Amino acid sequence: MIRTQEYNLNFGPQHPSTHGVFRILLTLDGERVVKAEPICGYLHRGVEKLAEARTYTQFIPYTDRLDYLAAMLQNWGYVMAVEKLMGVEVPEKAEYMRVISGELSRLASHLIAIGTYSLDIGAFTGFLLAFRERETTMDLLEELTGSRMTLSYARIGGVAADAPDGWLEKVDKFMDKMPTCIDEYDGLITGNEIFQARTREVGVLKPETAINYSISGPSLRGSGVDYDLRKAKPYGVYDRFDFDVPLGKNGDCFDRFDCRMKEMRQLVRIIKQAIQQIKEIDGPVIGKVPKVIKPPVGDAYAEIETSKGIIGYYVVSDGSPKPYRVHVRRPSFINLGYLDEMLRGYLVADVVAILGSLDIMLGEVDC
Amino acid sequence: MFGKGLVKGLEITWKEFWSPKTVIQYPEAQNPIPERFHGRFVLDTDKCIVCGMCANACPNKVISLKKQKVGTKQFLTNYVMNIQYCMFCGLCVETCPKDALHFSKVINMNQYFYNNIPLVLVQREAPAEQVEQEKPAAKPTPQLKADALAPTAESEVAASKASDKEGE
Repeated sequence: MIRTQEYNLNFGPQHPSTHGVFRILLTLDGERVVKAEPICGYLHRGVEKLAEARTYTQFIPYTDRLDYLAAMLQNWGYVMAVEKLMGVEVPEKAEYMRVISGELSRLASHLIAIGTYSLDIGAFTGFLLAFRERETTMDLLEELTGSRMTLSYARIGGVAADAPDGWLEKVDKFMDKMPTCIDEYDGLITGNEIFQARTREVGVLKPETAINYSISGPSLRGSGVDYDLRKAKPYGVYDRFDFDVPLGKNGDCFDRFDCRMKEMRQLVRIIKQAIQQIKEIDGPVIGKVPKVIKPPVGDAYAEIETSKGIIGYYVVSDGSPKPYRVHVRRPSFINLGYLDEMLRGYLVADVVAILGSLDIMLGEVDC
Repeated sequence: MFGKGLVKGLEITWKEFWSPKTVIQYPEAQNPIPERFHGRFVLDTDKCIVCGMCANACPNKVISLKKQKVGTKQFLTNYVMNIQYCMFCGLCVETCPKDALHFSKVINMNQYFYNNIPLVLVQREAPAEQVEQEKPAAKPTPQLKADALAPTAESEVAASKASDKEGE
Protein backbone atom coordinates (compact mmCIF):
# COMPACT_ATOMS: atom_id res chain seq x y z
CA MET A 1 0.00 0.00 0.00
CA ILE A 2 1.28 3.42 -0.94
CA ARG A 3 1.64 5.78 1.96
CA THR A 4 0.73 9.37 1.14
CA GLN A 5 1.75 12.38 3.05
CA GLU A 6 0.26 15.86 3.20
CA TYR A 7 2.49 18.69 2.10
CA ASN A 8 2.44 22.47 2.10
CA LEU A 9 2.46 24.72 -0.94
CA ASN A 10 2.95 28.44 -0.90
CA PHE A 11 0.54 30.08 -3.30
CA GLY A 12 1.71 33.65 -3.78
CA PRO A 13 2.54 36.33 -2.73
CA GLN A 14 4.02 36.89 -6.17
CA HIS A 15 1.56 34.80 -8.14
CA PRO A 16 -0.26 36.60 -10.96
CA SER A 17 -3.65 35.08 -10.16
CA THR A 18 -3.66 36.36 -6.59
CA HIS A 19 -4.32 39.78 -8.17
CA GLY A 20 -1.79 41.48 -5.97
CA VAL A 21 0.39 40.44 -3.10
CA PHE A 22 -1.67 37.80 -1.35
CA ARG A 23 -0.45 34.47 -0.04
CA ILE A 24 -2.34 31.27 0.62
CA LEU A 25 -0.58 28.51 2.49
CA LEU A 26 -2.14 25.39 1.00
CA THR A 27 -1.97 22.01 2.70
CA LEU A 28 -2.37 19.46 -0.06
CA ASP A 29 -3.09 15.79 -0.23
CA GLY A 30 -1.95 14.94 -3.72
CA GLU A 31 -3.71 17.61 -5.73
CA ARG A 32 -6.61 18.12 -3.34
CA VAL A 33 -6.66 21.02 -0.93
CA VAL A 34 -6.96 19.88 2.69
CA LYS A 35 -6.52 23.24 4.33
CA ALA A 36 -5.89 26.75 3.12
CA GLU A 37 -4.55 29.53 5.26
CA PRO A 38 -4.90 33.00 3.75
CA ILE A 39 -2.05 35.29 4.76
CA CYS A 40 -2.49 38.96 4.01
CA GLY A 41 -0.74 42.15 5.02
CA TYR A 42 1.85 42.53 2.28
CA LEU A 43 0.26 45.76 1.13
CA HIS A 44 -0.55 47.15 4.55
CA ARG A 45 0.06 50.89 4.67
CA GLY A 46 -1.86 51.82 7.80
CA VAL A 47 -4.38 53.99 6.01
CA GLU A 48 -6.63 54.18 9.07
CA LYS A 49 -3.77 55.48 11.19
CA LEU A 50 -2.66 57.91 8.48
CA ALA A 51 -6.12 59.45 8.61
CA GLU A 52 -5.52 60.57 12.17
CA ALA A 53 -2.66 62.82 11.05
CA ARG A 54 -4.58 64.33 8.12
CA THR A 55 -7.50 66.74 7.91
CA TYR A 56 -10.86 65.44 6.75
CA THR A 57 -10.31 66.64 3.19
CA GLN A 58 -6.73 65.44 3.04
CA PHE A 59 -7.81 61.86 3.67
CA ILE A 60 -9.81 61.68 0.42
CA PRO A 61 -6.78 60.81 -1.78
CA TYR A 62 -5.92 57.96 0.60
CA THR A 63 -9.33 56.35 0.15
CA ASP A 64 -8.54 56.11 -3.57
CA ARG A 65 -5.74 53.79 -2.73
CA LEU A 66 -7.89 51.24 -0.95
CA ASP A 67 -9.70 49.91 -3.98
CA TYR A 68 -7.81 51.62 -6.75
CA LEU A 69 -9.88 49.97 -9.48
CA ALA A 70 -13.06 51.75 -8.40
CA ALA A 71 -11.63 54.81 -6.67
CA MET A 72 -14.71 56.99 -6.93
CA LEU A 73 -16.81 54.54 -4.93
CA GLN A 74 -14.26 54.63 -2.12
CA ASN A 75 -14.21 58.44 -2.11
CA TRP A 76 -17.95 58.47 -2.06
CA GLY A 77 -18.29 56.22 0.97
CA TYR A 78 -15.87 58.33 2.98
CA VAL A 79 -17.36 61.71 2.12
CA MET A 80 -20.81 60.33 2.87
CA ALA A 81 -19.69 59.45 6.38
CA VAL A 82 -18.22 62.94 6.96
CA GLU A 83 -21.31 64.58 5.48
CA LYS A 84 -23.46 62.56 7.84
CA LEU A 85 -21.28 63.68 10.72
CA MET A 86 -21.53 67.34 9.75
CA GLY A 87 -25.09 67.34 8.48
CA VAL A 88 -24.09 68.81 5.13
CA GLU A 89 -26.60 68.78 2.32
CA VAL A 90 -25.27 67.69 -1.04
CA PRO A 91 -26.61 69.51 -4.14
CA GLU A 92 -28.67 67.40 -6.51
CA LYS A 93 -26.28 67.86 -9.39
CA ALA A 94 -23.37 66.61 -7.32
CA GLU A 95 -25.35 63.50 -6.42
CA TYR A 96 -25.88 62.79 -10.10
CA MET A 97 -22.22 63.39 -10.91
CA ARG A 98 -21.35 60.94 -8.15
CA VAL A 99 -23.68 58.35 -9.60
CA ILE A 100 -22.27 58.72 -13.12
CA SER A 101 -18.61 58.70 -12.10
CA GLY A 102 -19.24 56.00 -9.47
CA GLU A 103 -20.97 53.70 -11.93
CA LEU A 104 -18.19 54.29 -14.47
CA SER A 105 -15.73 53.27 -11.75
CA ARG A 106 -17.82 50.18 -11.09
CA LEU A 107 -17.71 49.39 -14.80
CA ALA A 108 -13.91 49.74 -14.83
CA SER A 109 -13.65 47.44 -11.82
CA HIS A 110 -16.03 44.79 -13.20
CA LEU A 111 -14.21 44.82 -16.53
CA ILE A 112 -10.99 44.03 -14.69
CA ALA A 113 -12.78 41.36 -12.68
CA ILE A 114 -14.17 39.53 -15.69
CA GLY A 115 -11.08 40.15 -17.83
CA THR A 116 -8.57 38.84 -15.34
CA TYR A 117 -10.92 36.01 -14.41
CA SER A 118 -10.96 34.77 -17.97
CA LEU A 119 -7.18 35.10 -17.96
CA ASP A 120 -7.01 33.03 -14.76
CA ILE A 121 -9.06 30.31 -16.43
CA GLY A 122 -6.86 30.53 -19.50
CA ALA A 123 -8.79 32.62 -22.03
CA PHE A 124 -6.56 35.43 -23.20
CA THR A 125 -8.81 37.08 -25.80
CA GLY A 126 -11.55 37.87 -23.30
CA PHE A 127 -9.00 39.67 -21.16
CA LEU A 128 -7.86 41.87 -24.05
CA LEU A 129 -11.39 42.80 -25.10
CA ALA A 130 -12.38 43.71 -21.55
CA PHE A 131 -9.32 45.92 -21.23
CA ARG A 132 -10.17 47.69 -24.47
CA GLU A 133 -13.43 49.00 -22.99
CA ARG A 134 -11.77 49.65 -19.66
CA GLU A 135 -9.35 51.95 -21.44
CA THR A 136 -12.25 54.01 -22.80
CA THR A 137 -13.80 54.15 -19.33
CA MET A 138 -10.57 55.40 -17.84
CA ASP A 139 -10.16 57.96 -20.62
CA LEU A 140 -13.58 59.32 -19.75
CA LEU A 141 -12.76 59.45 -16.04
CA GLU A 142 -9.46 61.12 -16.85
CA GLU A 143 -11.24 63.80 -18.80
CA LEU A 144 -13.55 64.43 -15.85
CA THR A 145 -11.08 64.29 -12.98
CA GLY A 146 -7.57 64.54 -14.40
CA SER A 147 -6.46 61.16 -13.12
CA ARG A 148 -7.02 57.74 -14.55
CA MET A 149 -7.22 55.52 -11.49
CA THR A 150 -6.80 57.48 -8.26
CA LEU A 151 -9.51 59.97 -9.03
CA SER A 152 -9.98 61.93 -5.75
CA TYR A 153 -13.13 63.31 -7.32
CA ALA A 154 -15.56 63.42 -4.43
CA ARG A 155 -15.37 66.30 -1.97
CA ILE A 156 -17.08 66.77 1.35
CA GLY A 157 -20.37 68.35 0.30
CA GLY A 158 -20.22 67.51 -3.39
CA VAL A 159 -17.73 66.76 -6.11
CA ALA A 160 -14.53 68.50 -7.22
CA ALA A 161 -15.72 69.84 -10.55
CA ASP A 162 -18.59 69.88 -12.98
CA ALA A 163 -18.47 67.77 -16.12
CA PRO A 164 -16.51 69.36 -18.97
CA ASP A 165 -18.38 70.41 -22.11
CA GLY A 166 -19.52 67.47 -24.16
CA TRP A 167 -18.43 64.91 -21.58
CA LEU A 168 -21.94 63.66 -20.80
CA GLU A 169 -22.61 63.14 -24.51
CA LYS A 170 -19.41 61.13 -24.77
CA VAL A 171 -20.44 58.93 -21.85
CA ASP A 172 -23.89 58.51 -23.37
CA LYS A 173 -22.35 57.42 -26.67
CA PHE A 174 -20.08 54.96 -24.91
CA MET A 175 -23.04 53.55 -22.99
CA ASP A 176 -24.88 53.02 -26.29
CA LYS A 177 -21.95 50.94 -27.46
CA MET A 178 -21.41 49.05 -24.22
CA PRO A 179 -24.22 46.41 -24.48
CA THR A 180 -22.78 45.08 -27.76
CA CYS A 181 -19.39 44.83 -26.06
CA ILE A 182 -20.92 42.90 -23.16
CA ASP A 183 -22.54 40.59 -25.75
CA GLU A 184 -19.06 39.96 -27.09
CA TYR A 185 -17.72 39.02 -23.63
CA ASP A 186 -20.73 36.78 -23.16
CA GLY A 187 -20.04 35.07 -26.44
CA LEU A 188 -16.33 34.73 -25.75
CA ILE A 189 -16.26 33.85 -22.08
CA THR A 190 -19.66 33.10 -20.54
CA GLY A 191 -20.84 30.82 -23.33
CA ASN A 192 -17.54 28.99 -23.63
CA GLU A 193 -17.91 25.32 -22.64
CA ILE A 194 -14.37 25.04 -21.30
CA PHE A 195 -14.95 28.08 -19.10
CA GLN A 196 -18.22 26.62 -17.83
CA ALA A 197 -16.64 23.27 -17.12
CA ARG A 198 -13.99 24.99 -15.04
CA THR A 199 -16.35 27.19 -13.05
CA ARG A 200 -19.71 25.44 -12.66
CA GLU A 201 -20.20 23.70 -9.31
CA VAL A 202 -16.79 24.87 -8.16
CA GLY A 203 -16.42 26.82 -4.92
CA VAL A 204 -20.06 26.64 -3.94
CA LEU A 205 -21.15 29.23 -1.41
CA LYS A 206 -24.53 28.52 0.17
CA PRO A 207 -26.80 31.52 0.83
CA GLU A 208 -26.98 30.88 4.59
CA THR A 209 -23.19 30.60 4.83
CA ALA A 210 -22.76 33.76 2.78
CA ILE A 211 -25.01 35.68 5.16
CA ASN A 212 -23.33 34.18 8.23
CA TYR A 213 -19.91 35.18 6.96
CA SER A 214 -21.15 38.69 6.15
CA ILE A 215 -20.14 38.34 2.51
CA SER A 216 -21.38 41.16 0.31
CA GLY A 217 -21.42 42.36 -3.25
CA PRO A 218 -21.61 40.13 -6.33
CA SER A 219 -20.16 37.26 -4.29
CA LEU A 220 -23.26 37.35 -2.06
CA ARG A 221 -25.71 37.89 -4.90
CA GLY A 222 -24.17 35.00 -6.82
CA SER A 223 -25.58 32.78 -4.07
CA GLY A 224 -29.04 34.14 -4.70
CA VAL A 225 -29.34 36.53 -1.77
CA ASP A 226 -31.05 39.67 -2.96
CA TYR A 227 -29.17 42.35 -1.09
CA ASP A 228 -27.87 45.34 -2.96
CA LEU A 229 -27.55 48.51 -0.89
CA ARG A 230 -28.57 50.58 -3.90
CA LYS A 231 -31.97 48.88 -3.71
CA ALA A 232 -32.18 47.82 -0.06
CA LYS A 233 -31.16 51.14 1.48
CA PRO A 234 -30.99 53.63 -1.38
CA TYR A 235 -28.42 56.35 -0.78
CA GLY A 236 -27.86 59.43 -2.91
CA VAL A 237 -30.34 59.47 -5.76
CA TYR A 238 -30.42 55.74 -6.44
CA ASP A 239 -34.12 55.56 -5.64
CA ARG A 240 -34.81 57.51 -8.82
CA PHE A 241 -33.38 54.91 -11.18
CA ASP A 242 -35.00 51.84 -12.59
CA PHE A 243 -32.67 48.85 -12.50
CA ASP A 244 -32.63 45.20 -11.52
CA VAL A 245 -30.39 43.32 -9.13
CA PRO A 246 -28.99 40.29 -10.94
CA LEU A 247 -28.91 37.13 -8.84
CA GLY A 248 -27.25 33.75 -9.19
CA LYS A 249 -28.77 30.36 -8.39
CA ASN A 250 -26.13 27.90 -7.26
CA GLY A 251 -23.55 30.20 -5.66
CA ASP A 252 -20.68 28.70 -7.64
CA CYS A 253 -17.85 30.50 -9.40
CA PHE A 254 -19.85 30.79 -12.60
CA ASP A 255 -22.77 32.49 -10.86
CA ARG A 256 -20.50 35.02 -9.19
CA PHE A 257 -18.90 35.77 -12.53
CA ASP A 258 -22.25 35.97 -14.29
CA CYS A 259 -23.58 38.37 -11.65
CA ARG A 260 -20.82 40.82 -12.50
CA MET A 261 -21.54 40.44 -16.19
CA LYS A 262 -25.24 41.14 -15.68
CA GLU A 263 -24.49 43.98 -13.26
CA MET A 264 -22.59 45.72 -16.04
CA ARG A 265 -25.74 45.73 -18.16
CA GLN A 266 -27.66 47.24 -15.24
CA LEU A 267 -25.12 49.97 -14.60
CA VAL A 268 -25.34 50.96 -18.26
CA ARG A 269 -29.05 51.49 -17.64
CA ILE A 270 -28.34 53.55 -14.50
CA ILE A 271 -25.83 55.80 -16.25
CA LYS A 272 -28.17 56.38 -19.19
CA GLN A 273 -30.98 57.39 -16.86
CA ALA A 274 -28.67 59.61 -14.80
CA ILE A 275 -27.45 61.44 -17.91
CA GLN A 276 -31.01 62.01 -19.00
CA GLN A 277 -31.99 63.39 -15.58
CA ILE A 278 -28.88 65.50 -14.94
CA LYS A 279 -29.50 67.56 -18.07
CA GLU A 280 -32.58 69.09 -16.45
CA ILE A 281 -30.71 70.08 -13.30
CA ASP A 282 -28.80 73.29 -12.95
CA GLY A 283 -26.84 74.39 -9.94
CA PRO A 284 -23.60 74.05 -8.03
CA VAL A 285 -21.69 70.80 -7.69
CA ILE A 286 -20.59 71.50 -4.12
CA GLY A 287 -22.75 72.48 -1.18
CA LYS A 288 -22.15 75.07 1.53
CA VAL A 289 -19.20 73.70 3.44
CA PRO A 290 -16.94 75.73 5.75
CA LYS A 291 -13.34 76.15 4.60
CA VAL A 292 -11.94 74.47 7.67
CA ILE A 293 -13.90 71.31 8.22
CA LYS A 294 -14.52 70.80 11.92
CA PRO A 295 -17.34 68.33 12.47
CA PRO A 296 -19.07 68.37 15.87
CA VAL A 297 -18.03 65.79 18.45
CA GLY A 298 -19.57 62.46 17.58
CA ASP A 299 -19.34 59.56 15.20
CA ALA A 300 -20.94 58.49 11.95
CA TYR A 301 -21.05 55.37 9.86
CA ALA A 302 -21.92 55.37 6.18
CA GLU A 303 -21.91 52.45 3.82
CA ILE A 304 -22.31 52.14 0.09
CA GLU A 305 -22.33 49.35 -2.44
CA THR A 306 -19.02 49.20 -4.28
CA SER A 307 -17.99 46.81 -7.00
CA LYS A 308 -16.60 44.41 -4.39
CA GLY A 309 -19.35 44.65 -1.83
CA ILE A 310 -20.44 46.91 0.98
CA ILE A 311 -17.80 49.39 2.04
CA GLY A 312 -18.43 51.18 5.29
CA TYR A 313 -16.59 54.15 6.77
CA TYR A 314 -16.78 54.84 10.46
CA VAL A 315 -15.53 58.30 11.36
CA VAL A 316 -15.13 59.58 14.91
CA SER A 317 -14.70 63.28 15.52
CA ASP A 318 -13.38 64.99 18.63
CA GLY A 319 -14.21 68.43 17.31
CA SER A 320 -10.75 69.13 15.89
CA PRO A 321 -9.96 69.53 12.18
CA LYS A 322 -8.52 66.00 12.13
CA PRO A 323 -10.50 62.79 12.58
CA TYR A 324 -10.01 61.07 15.92
CA ARG A 325 -10.44 57.68 14.33
CA VAL A 326 -11.38 56.33 10.91
CA HIS A 327 -12.29 52.70 10.43
CA VAL A 328 -12.99 51.10 7.09
CA ARG A 329 -15.15 48.03 6.63
CA ARG A 330 -13.48 46.53 3.59
CA PRO A 331 -15.61 44.10 1.60
CA SER A 332 -12.64 42.32 -0.01
CA PHE A 333 -11.20 41.45 3.39
CA ILE A 334 -14.49 40.17 4.77
CA ASN A 335 -15.25 38.20 1.60
CA LEU A 336 -11.98 36.34 2.13
CA GLY A 337 -13.19 35.01 5.48
CA TYR A 338 -14.78 31.92 3.99
CA LEU A 339 -11.92 31.18 1.59
CA ASP A 340 -10.43 28.35 3.67
CA GLU A 341 -13.60 26.26 3.77
CA MET A 342 -14.47 27.19 0.21
CA LEU A 343 -11.18 25.79 -1.11
CA ARG A 344 -11.23 22.51 0.83
CA GLY A 345 -11.64 19.45 -1.33
CA TYR A 346 -10.93 21.19 -4.62
CA LEU A 347 -7.96 20.79 -6.90
CA VAL A 348 -5.02 23.19 -6.99
CA ALA A 349 -6.18 24.46 -10.39
CA ASP A 350 -9.54 25.36 -8.85
CA VAL A 351 -7.86 27.53 -6.21
CA VAL A 352 -7.17 30.09 -8.93
CA ALA A 353 -10.76 29.88 -10.18
CA ILE A 354 -12.28 30.29 -6.72
CA LEU A 355 -10.02 33.12 -5.62
CA GLY A 356 -10.58 34.95 -8.89
CA SER A 357 -14.35 34.62 -8.60
CA LEU A 358 -14.31 36.43 -5.24
CA ASP A 359 -12.71 39.43 -6.98
CA ILE A 360 -10.57 40.64 -4.13
CA MET A 361 -8.55 43.83 -4.23
CA LEU A 362 -5.40 43.70 -2.18
CA GLY A 363 -5.24 47.41 -1.51
CA GLU A 364 -8.52 46.98 0.30
CA VAL A 365 -7.72 43.65 1.99
CA ASP A 366 -4.57 44.99 3.61
CA CYS A 367 -5.81 48.58 3.93
CA MET B 1 -24.73 21.02 -28.62
CA PHE B 2 -21.33 20.85 -27.02
CA GLY B 3 -18.83 23.09 -28.75
CA LYS B 4 -21.38 25.66 -29.90
CA GLY B 5 -19.97 28.22 -27.48
CA LEU B 6 -16.46 27.61 -28.71
CA VAL B 7 -17.51 28.22 -32.31
CA LYS B 8 -19.30 31.42 -31.29
CA GLY B 9 -16.17 32.58 -29.48
CA LEU B 10 -14.07 31.89 -32.54
CA GLU B 11 -16.55 33.85 -34.65
CA ILE B 12 -16.13 36.88 -32.38
CA THR B 13 -12.35 36.53 -32.46
CA TRP B 14 -12.47 36.33 -36.26
CA LYS B 15 -14.60 39.49 -36.41
CA GLU B 16 -12.29 41.33 -34.02
CA PHE B 17 -9.28 40.23 -36.07
CA TRP B 18 -10.46 42.41 -38.96
CA SER B 19 -11.66 45.37 -36.89
CA PRO B 20 -9.52 48.52 -36.69
CA LYS B 21 -6.60 48.44 -34.29
CA THR B 22 -7.10 50.16 -30.96
CA VAL B 23 -3.52 49.96 -29.72
CA ILE B 24 -1.31 53.02 -30.16
CA GLN B 25 2.45 52.69 -30.48
CA TYR B 26 3.32 55.06 -27.65
CA PRO B 27 6.49 57.03 -28.36
CA GLU B 28 5.54 57.56 -32.02
CA ALA B 29 1.86 58.27 -31.41
CA GLN B 30 0.08 59.48 -28.32
CA ASN B 31 -3.48 59.84 -27.18
CA PRO B 32 -4.61 63.46 -26.72
CA ILE B 33 -4.12 64.60 -23.14
CA PRO B 34 -7.30 66.01 -21.60
CA GLU B 35 -7.59 69.57 -20.34
CA ARG B 36 -7.76 68.61 -16.64
CA PHE B 37 -4.81 66.24 -16.77
CA HIS B 38 -2.71 66.06 -13.61
CA GLY B 39 0.73 66.65 -15.07
CA ARG B 40 3.76 68.63 -13.92
CA PHE B 41 2.96 71.70 -11.82
CA VAL B 42 3.28 75.24 -13.09
CA LEU B 43 3.35 78.28 -10.82
CA ASP B 44 2.42 81.71 -12.08
CA THR B 45 4.73 83.79 -9.90
CA ASP B 46 3.01 87.08 -10.80
CA LYS B 47 -0.29 85.82 -9.42
CA CYS B 48 1.13 84.08 -6.34
CA ILE B 49 0.58 86.01 -3.11
CA VAL B 50 2.69 83.62 -1.01
CA CYS B 51 -0.19 82.72 1.28
CA GLY B 52 1.03 79.14 1.74
CA MET B 53 -2.43 77.65 1.45
CA CYS B 54 -1.20 75.10 -1.11
CA ALA B 55 1.42 73.87 1.35
CA ASN B 56 -1.21 73.52 4.08
CA ALA B 57 -3.67 71.70 1.81
CA CYS B 58 -1.17 69.03 0.81
CA PRO B 59 -1.76 65.70 2.55
CA ASN B 60 1.88 64.68 2.25
CA LYS B 61 3.59 68.04 2.97
CA VAL B 62 5.12 68.01 -0.47
CA ILE B 63 5.31 71.77 -0.92
CA SER B 64 7.81 73.96 0.90
CA LEU B 65 8.10 77.64 0.25
CA LYS B 66 10.21 80.48 1.56
CA LYS B 67 9.37 84.15 1.50
CA GLN B 68 10.90 87.51 2.32
CA LYS B 69 9.25 90.77 3.10
CA VAL B 70 9.98 93.41 0.47
CA GLY B 71 8.44 96.74 1.41
CA THR B 72 4.88 95.91 2.40
CA LYS B 73 4.57 92.82 0.23
CA GLN B 74 5.72 89.24 0.63
CA PHE B 75 8.22 88.08 -1.96
CA LEU B 76 8.46 84.42 -2.93
CA THR B 77 12.08 83.32 -2.98
CA ASN B 78 11.80 79.56 -2.96
CA TYR B 79 9.06 77.18 -4.08
CA VAL B 80 10.04 73.54 -4.07
CA MET B 81 7.83 70.47 -4.47
CA ASN B 82 9.16 67.17 -3.21
CA ILE B 83 7.49 65.52 -6.14
CA GLN B 84 8.45 61.98 -5.15
CA TYR B 85 5.91 62.15 -2.33
CA CYS B 86 3.21 63.80 -4.46
CA MET B 87 -0.03 61.88 -5.05
CA PHE B 88 -1.22 64.27 -7.79
CA CYS B 89 -4.55 64.61 -6.01
CA GLY B 90 -4.90 68.26 -6.98
CA LEU B 91 -5.87 69.61 -3.55
CA CYS B 92 -3.15 72.28 -3.73
CA VAL B 93 -4.33 73.50 -7.11
CA GLU B 94 -7.91 73.54 -5.87
CA THR B 95 -7.17 75.62 -2.76
CA CYS B 96 -5.06 78.28 -4.51
CA PRO B 97 -7.11 81.46 -4.02
CA LYS B 98 -5.43 83.35 -6.89
CA ASP B 99 -5.36 80.45 -9.38
CA ALA B 100 -1.58 80.76 -9.55
CA LEU B 101 -0.76 77.08 -9.24
CA HIS B 102 -1.98 74.72 -11.90
CA PHE B 103 -1.29 71.49 -13.71
CA SER B 104 0.33 71.30 -17.12
CA LYS B 105 0.15 68.47 -19.60
CA VAL B 106 3.78 67.44 -19.14
CA ILE B 107 3.83 63.76 -18.24
CA ASN B 108 7.54 63.09 -18.39
CA MET B 109 9.04 63.96 -15.03
CA ASN B 110 11.69 61.26 -14.97
CA GLN B 111 15.11 62.02 -13.58
CA TYR B 112 18.35 60.14 -13.69
CA PHE B 113 19.43 61.17 -10.22
CA TYR B 114 17.53 61.20 -6.96
CA ASN B 115 18.74 64.69 -6.13
CA ASN B 116 17.10 66.11 -9.22
CA ILE B 117 13.65 64.82 -8.35
CA PRO B 118 12.37 67.83 -6.31
CA LEU B 119 10.48 70.13 -8.61
CA VAL B 120 11.95 73.61 -8.17
CA LEU B 121 9.33 76.04 -9.39
CA VAL B 122 10.89 79.21 -7.97
CA GLN B 123 14.40 79.86 -6.75
CA ARG B 124 15.46 83.47 -6.81
CA GLU B 125 16.85 86.31 -4.75
CA ALA B 126 14.60 88.95 -3.28
CA PRO B 127 15.00 92.51 -4.59
CA ALA B 128 17.47 94.77 -2.77
CA GLU B 129 14.99 96.77 -0.66
CA GLN B 130 14.22 93.85 1.61
CA VAL B 131 13.68 94.73 5.24
CA GLU B 132 13.65 91.53 7.19
CA GLN B 133 13.75 87.84 6.59
CA GLU B 134 10.89 85.66 7.71
CA LYS B 135 10.74 82.08 8.71
CA PRO B 136 9.52 79.51 6.14
CA ALA B 137 5.74 79.48 5.89
CA ALA B 138 5.31 75.74 5.60
CA LYS B 139 7.14 74.59 8.64
CA PRO B 140 6.70 70.83 9.02
CA THR B 141 4.66 69.94 12.07
CA PRO B 142 6.54 67.80 14.56
CA GLN B 143 3.77 65.22 14.86
CA LEU B 144 4.53 63.77 11.45
CA LYS B 145 7.32 61.31 11.83
CA ALA B 146 7.52 60.76 8.08
CA ASP B 147 8.60 64.37 7.77
CA ALA B 148 11.54 63.90 10.00
CA LEU B 149 12.66 60.90 8.04
CA ALA B 150 12.32 62.59 4.68
CA PRO B 151 15.17 64.87 3.72
CA THR B 152 14.06 68.46 3.61
CA ALA B 153 13.47 70.03 0.27
CA GLU B 154 16.06 72.74 0.79
CA SER B 155 18.88 70.35 1.44
CA GLU B 156 17.92 68.34 -1.58
CA VAL B 157 17.87 71.40 -3.77
CA ALA B 158 21.29 72.37 -2.53
CA ALA B 159 22.51 68.91 -3.35
CA SER B 160 20.91 68.98 -6.77
CA LYS B 161 22.65 72.24 -7.60
CA ALA B 162 25.97 70.67 -6.88
CA SER B 163 25.27 67.43 -8.70
CA ASP B 164 25.18 66.63 -12.37
CA LYS B 165 22.20 68.04 -14.27
CA GLU B 166 22.31 65.35 -16.92
CA GLY B 167 18.86 64.07 -16.06
CA GLU B 168 17.04 67.24 -16.96
